[in-house]
Formats: sequence, C-alpha cells, structure tokens
Amino acid sequence: MQLGSLLLIIGATTLGASVAIAMVARPRHHKHAQIKPKAKENEKVYTETAEHDVEHIFNDEFREELRNRGRLHFEKIIGENAMFLQQDLRLTTSQLNDYMKQEITKTLKDEFAKYEQSIMDAKQLAIDSIVKTQTAIEEQREMLGKQLEEQITAEKQRRINRFEQAMAEIINHYVVSAIGDQIDLNDQLEYILSDLEVNKKAIIEDITNGA
Amino acid sequence: MAHEPTDFRLPPGVIGLVDLGRLSRELQAIDEFVVQASVREAGKQPTLPRTSRNLDQLVKDNSYNLLRDVDRQELRAFLEAVRSRAPVIHMSFATADPSIVFLQKMIIWLRTEIHPLILLQVGLRPGLAAGCIVRTANKYFDFSLRKHFDQNKQVLIDMLQEGSVVSGG
Repeated sequence: MQLGSLLLIIGATTLGASVAIAMVARPRHHKHAQIKPKAKENEKVYTETAEHDVEHIFNDEFREELRNRGRLHFEKIIGENAMFLQQDLRLTTSQLNDYMKQEITKTLKDEFAKYEQSIMDAKQLAIDSIVKTQTAIEEQREMLGKQLEEQITAEKQRRINRFEQAMAEIINHYVVSAIGDQIDLNDQLEYILSDLEVNKKAIIEDITNGA
Repeated sequence: MAHEPTDFRLPPGVIGLVDLGRLSRELQAIDEFVVQASVREAGKQPTLPRTSRNLDQLVKDNSYNLLRDVDRQELRAFLEAVRSRAPVIHMSFATADPSIVFLQKMIIWLRTEIHPLILLQVGLRPGLAAGCIVRTANKYFDFSLRKHFDQNKQVLIDMLQEGSVVSGG
C-alpha cells in the first residue's frame, strides 16, 4: 500500500515535473514573453500545493521508508564503493607488486650486473696476475736453467782441470821419485850451468847490491 | 909485493868457508913453526907442518912465500877479508855429497862469471831428483827438475788431453 502510494506520488511528481519542464521549455522557443506570466502562476500554484501537502506526503512512515531506502541505497553505494575501493586497492596492490617486482628485478639485475662485472674484473685481474706470474716463473726457470747449466759446465771444467792437474802432479811425483838420486851430478853440470847462465845477471846484481 | 883484493885468486879447491878456515889454520901452524924455529934450542928441529894442496896452490897462484912473515901476514889478512866480505852462494843438491870435481867445476864457473872470490856453500835438498836450488843474499833460484816439470805441466796436460781425444775419438 505504502509502496503503491509512494509510486503514485513519485509518478505524479514526475509527471508534474515533466509537465512543468515542458511548459517552462516551450515559451523559450516560441512565445516566451506571452507564456511567462502563466507559467509563473502555475508554479506558484504547484508550490503552494506542495507546501500544503508536504506534511501529508512526507509523513513519518514515508520518511522512515525513505530513510530505510536511503540507508539501503547508502549501504549499497558504500558496498559498491567498498567493492570498487577493494578492486582499486587490489589493482593498486597488484600494480604496486608488479612495480616493486620490476624495480626489485631491475635493481637486482643492475646489482647482479655490477657484481658480475666485478667478478669478471677480478677474474681478469687474477688471470693477468697468473699470466704475469707464469711469465716471471718461466723467465726465472730459464735463468736458473742457464745458471745451472753454466755452473755445471764450470764445475765440469774445474774437475777436469783438477784431474789434469792432479794427474800431472802424480806423473811428476812418479817421475821424480823414479829418478830419485840416480842421475849423477856431473851429468847435471851442463844443465845447471845453463840455468845459472840464464840467471847470471840477476845473481850478479844481487851479489853486487845485496847486503 | 902488495896485492889488491881484485888480484887475489882463490884456487878451485877452496870452495867454501870451511876451506878458508882450514887455510887459516895452516897459516897459523906455519907461523907457530917459524916462532918455534926462531926460539928452538940447539939440536932440536921443530917439525915443519905439512901444507895442503890448496894452500900450495894459493901461494903459488898469488906468488907468496910462506917463509916470509910479511907474505903470511898479508895472506892471512886477505883470507880474513875474503871470509868477511866475499859473496857466498848457497847451492842445494839432491845428493848429500857432491864430488870434488863437480864442485870445482862449479866454483870455477862461478868465479869466472859471477865473482872472482865467490864462495860456495853446499846443502842437501832431497826430492829435487835433479838440478839444484841456488840462494843468494836476497834471491832464490829453483833449477830443479821438479820445478822444470811444474813449469812444463801444461805441456803434460795438453798431451794428456790429446791422448784422451785420440783414445776417445
């Protein structure tokens, strides 16, 4: 009942409003100056009627109904807005997550790239150092090899010389021992005199200038 | 008859200071004989000391008369001068006792070539095998066979190397 009354009222109001709008709109196009006083009069009537019936139309039930409907509508709007807000929030969260993922991924990629570059640089440095070390070791090995070879050659020559000297000493000793005092001094006289003749000048000088 | 030191000649038999000492003793014996003869009693004739061949040669070479006091004194003075001032050369041999002939030949050469009054002192140096070592006041000469071998050691080493090359090749 109430709902039918309400619909009736709303329909009447709507109709009235439509008629009023139509009436108001018509004079604008054609006979605006002539219709204007009549419209004002009708409006005045409507206003008076509305003021007169307002208390009758908008009673407590109707107001409660409107309040309920408004509450429901408000709740609906709140719910929709909440849903929209939730959707926006989810979307925003999703976008934020994506953004964060992208940023983090980008940052991580950059950091990994830097880290990888650092590792590559360190690796290159290590490789260069190893190459230099290997080169130095190779040079040192070659130098030591040459030195060792020279020392071996020198030692070999020294031992050969020592052997030859020792052999010469052995032969000398053997010959001297074998000769012993078997050679007569008279046979040595010519040899001794020849040596004295060679050193005669030095002997004379020493005798002349000596103490 | 005065002699200059350079005119004084030592016989080849007088080789070293020992021989000079022996000559001095012989001269002293002759002096004593002359003194004894001058103070002898009647009927006692002192024995004339026998002179060595070296002294005879010395007197003969230098034209002295041992019966004259002046000649003996001069001869003694010369012998003392030779003992104190004559150069001495040392020669060491491998054998202990070189023959007198060898030493005389050596001293003749030395007095002819080095100094007319030079004296020779002989030593022993075993291990020389042959040759000698001569030492003067300030110098040392090694004429030994060992030294000769040492000087020619390189020849022996070269021969050893050649032998090793020949035998190795």
